Amino acid sequence: MTGASRGIGRAIGERLAADGYHVVLTYRADAAGAEEAAGAIRAAGGTGEAVKCDVTSAADIAALADRLDKEREGIDVLVNNAAVLKNGLFALMPDANWSLVMETALGGTYRMTKAFVRGMLRRRWGRIVNVSSLAAFSGAAGQTNYAAAKGALVAFTKSLAAEVGPFGVTVNAVAPGFVETEMISFLGKEAREDFLKRVPVQRFGRPEDIAPFVSFLCTEGAAYLTGQTVRVDGGFVG
Amino acid sequence: MSSEDLKPRVKELIVRQLKLDVDPASIKDDAPLFGDADGGLGLDSIDALELVLGVEKEFGIKVQDEEVGVKAFASVDALCDFIRAKAA
Repeated sequence: MTGASRGIGRAIGERLAADGYHVVLTYRADAAGAEEAAGAIRAAGGTGEAVKCDVTSAADIAALADRLDKEREGIDVLVNNAAVLKNGLFALMPDANWSLVMETALGGTYRMTKAFVRGMLRRRWGRIVNVSSLAAFSGAAGQTNYAAAKGALVAFTKSLAAEVGPFGVTVNAVAPGFVETEMISFLGKEAREDFLKRVPVQRFGRPEDIAPFVSFLCTEGAAYLTGQTVRVDGGFVG
Repeated sequence: MSSEDLKPRVKELIVRQLKLDVDPASIKDDAPLFGDADGGLGLDSIDALELVLGVEKEFGIKVQDEEVGVKAFASVDALCDFIRAKAA
């Protein structure tokens, strides 16, 4: 469960813990948030731990994979959620803003999935859930980097699903719309009103709106559902 | 690990992991495992992945990626060489 110290990642982590999984919550820098999330999981009767792991760091990921291989024989479920936003007009975008967004959401997904997929193939059971975004479909200005990374995840999901299907591993993506977390806190009043006009469900999403679907994807019952990206965005029209 | 033990073990691994309907002893040491070459087993890329998993499980040896894999899995002989080299 990458990027799990807050927001959607944290909500998914808490839900999976409630489902009975031992949840490993990774974070880059927000140790306090991640520890709090792990604490909340334990307080609710589940098991979980916060682990520092920067998904742009091959070394961090190798160390995590190594430890989980030894301690738990790998993992059954991987949720690739870690992402950062560096919005801005493309024509003025510093290279670093392009790279960081790609390296976190897409590169991070590549590295994490690579590190853990073989174990799932070996055990012939696995669930990989990639968190994409409405941005992959909506084409808003100022998001070329984020949209590119999140759109790439949609394609990656389909292709990987085709490869690992024979091994009992499913790969799907969830594309949340605007969900009320720190990530959208920069939106001004006008932008928020504009957005709401296009959402039939007439509100912003909550992390709790996203977690249940991810939870379902990770069950045995979802074994025949793979390669899909499902938009959970209040019916956003645009 | 002596050649005598390793070759039959590898052949048995191939048959078992890929659920092939052949006698392990009938697999020639130097026959190409993959592709359509005559006398080869005609395995494909999914079989290759299965074999990587099998080698990992049976011998504890990790095949890093397909660059390594293509050479290592060229034939039973190549695979034995690879296993011996990694186990050393």
